[in-house]
Order: sequence, then C-alpha cells, then structure tokens
Amino acid sequence: MDREEAAKIVMSMLEKNVEGLKMSEDKMGETLENLGVDSLDMMLVVMDAGEAAGITISDDEAEKLDTPDKIVEFIAKQ
Amino acid sequence: MLGIQSIASYLPKGSVDNLEQADRFETDREFVEQKIGVTTLPKFEAQDSVVSASIAAFKSLCEKQSIDPAEIECVVLCTQNPDNGGLPHNSALVHAELGLPEDCACFDIGLGCSGYVYGLSVIQSFMAANGMKKGLLFTCDPYSRILNPEDKNTCLLFGDAASVTLISDTPRYTLSSAKFSTKGAGSAALHKNGSLLEMNGRAVFNFALQDVPKQIKRVLESAELKMENVDLFLLHQGSRFMLENMIKRTGIPADKAPIRLSETGNTVSSSIPLLLEKELDNSPGTILMSGFGVGLSWATAIYTQVK
Repeated sequence: MDREEAAKIVMSMLEKNVEGLKMSEDKMGETLENLGVDSLDMMLVVMDAGEAAGITISDDEAEKLDTPDKIVEFIAKQ
Repeated sequence: MLGIQSIASYLPKGSVDNLEQADRFETDREFVEQKIGVTTLPKFEAQDSVVSASIAAFKSLCEKQSIDPAEIECVVLCTQNPDNGGLPHNSALVHAELGLPEDCACFDIGLGCSGYVYGLSVIQSFMAANGMKKGLLFTCDPYSRILNPEDKNTCLLFGDAASVTLISDTPRYTLSSAKFSTKGAGSAALHKNGSLLEMNGRAVFNFALQDVPKQIKRVLESAELKMENVDLFLLHQGSRFMLENMIKRTGIPADKAPIRLSETGNTVSSSIPLLLEKELDNSPGTILMSGFGVGLSWATAIYTQVK
C-alpha cells in the first residue's frame, strides 16, 4: 500500500474514533497523546487502521506506534 | 427440561472509590468515569470469603424464592480465586454451610469471565445426565485478592461480587444454542505472575473486539435468529469503552445491551448474572449472553423464555 493511501486510512480512523479531532498533514508527526488521543482510543485507532489496511499489527509493534506518521509508515511497509 | 429458574447476587459492603484511586494513579477522573466507566468498586473486607459471599447470595435468593435445601442435588461453584487455595473445593464448603443433603454433587470449575455461560451449560448438562431436578450455580471471583496495588490497569477495573442461579426442572429460561471457544496461545494476556494478576490491556481489547463479535454472530446464525429477534444482550462488563465498541462493531442495538458497571466494575464471572438478575423482572423473551476473558476463553449462549 502506498503512503498516501495509508495516510488516508490513518487520518480517517483517527477522526472516526477520537471525538472532536480534525486531522491534517501538519499533525501527522505529533504524538497521539498530544493530539488528545487517550490510551483506549489509541488501541482502537491502531486496530481499526490495521483492519482497514488488511494487515495484522502485533501488540509489540502497536506499542511503538505513537504518532500518526509511524502508523502510516508501518502500514505502507507491509 | 432444565433451565434457569431464579437468580440472586451479593455485593460486599466494602468498596473502593475509583475516582480517588484515579487521583492516586495520576489518571484523569473523567477517563475513569467515562471510558472505564467505573466509579465504585465493591471489595471484599477481611471477613469476606468466596464461601461467605456465596452464602450471602443464597440468602438473597431465598428472599425471592422458596427453596428447600433438602431438594438441592447439585452445587457448582465457578471461581479462580477460591478460599484455601481451592482445597477443599469451595462448593463442598458451601454445601456444609447450607446444610445440604449428602446426595448432592458438588464441584468447582475454574474459569474467568466466560465462567457463567460455561457454568450454566455444565450444570444443566450434568444434572440432565444424572436425572437431577434442582441445582445451584455459584460465581464468585474476588480479584481484589490478586490485584497488584501499583497496577492501575487492573486496580481501576475489577470489583468483587457473588451470584447464585437456581437451575430447576420448572425453569423460566432454557438454553437454545451456545458456542464455546478458546485461544490458549493468547493466555498470557491475562495471567497470574506469582500471586498477582497481570493484564495486557491491548491484547484483551483486540480479542474482545475481534473474536467475540464473530462468535455472537455464529450463535445467532445457528439459532436462525437475527439481532432484532433478541430482546436482551448481556455482555460481560469488561469496561465501558470496550462494551460500547463491541456493541457498535457487532451491530447490536445499543438499547438492548445494558452497560452497567459504574457501581460494580468488572466482576469477572459474576458480571453477567448481576445484569441478568436486574433484567429478569422485565421478562425478556430471548436473551443472548456472552462472556469472554481469561484463557483466552469466550462463550455465547441464547436462552429463551418458557411460555
């Protein structure tokens, strides 16, 4: 999957699952915590993004994905 | 035919203010209230035990239902945190306290959050195979005994409770269909390390949201029912956030799936019976129950009202 498509998935999953969050390219490098994504939302976002991209993200890998960009890169690499 | 005749529960008098616990763990109170969904956790006091809580639940059952102890032929108790390390099996201690007859089968089963759905099937099958007419299924899993006081992932979540269900040949609800699943390879997600509970929250969350909905749908299919044919969905009360998302992902009508853990927390195998006790007064026609957790183990069953 190319980066652009992965970014679309991640942005849409963040907006879908985190109340009031509007995503834009300039926010992709921010930590999820700084974007107001709490620990439970993070689990949901990573799970939903993985499912939408058709990939499995292990618990260990998921723990390291603390910015939208890192999730995008992970998906794009698969 | 055997089935559920009546049910009662017991919450210990001791409790923990979960919002004060949130402060102790430097966790946002709103997160604990809205996302975990728990403000108070019932907790065993020093004098409480699996046996005493089970007896208290039985006394509560006797207030609703006339029960002759001499007629009880089977006692099954579900716990993974028994008194005296489970030796003797706690159902035998309950048997003694209740003064039940010698012609009464007693055994414990060790399951966590799937325990009630499993336990119902186990006791009904055992009783049917042996021609028994009245039995008691207890659940009591005091996780406060195994919580690490420094672990906010578990301390903010689990509460203590007990329940008892009267199984009889004059039931209000009988089993229509059930499925039982296990993913032993994932068991590290919820396990005891030494004497304390450890939980991988993400692994449990993924399991609950990815595996359990599939089983719920399979049970409905095998019973040839659709979501709209079920009057009540009793889902194990793990946390508010997990339940809300499970309901959404499974396509369950939210008004049919109560989320009621604010004053109890996650009471393991007692969470479904606590809900069922409250809901039975409304006489739902068809009930789907789904319990999931330690194991990883999950079980879903459909019970229908006897007309």
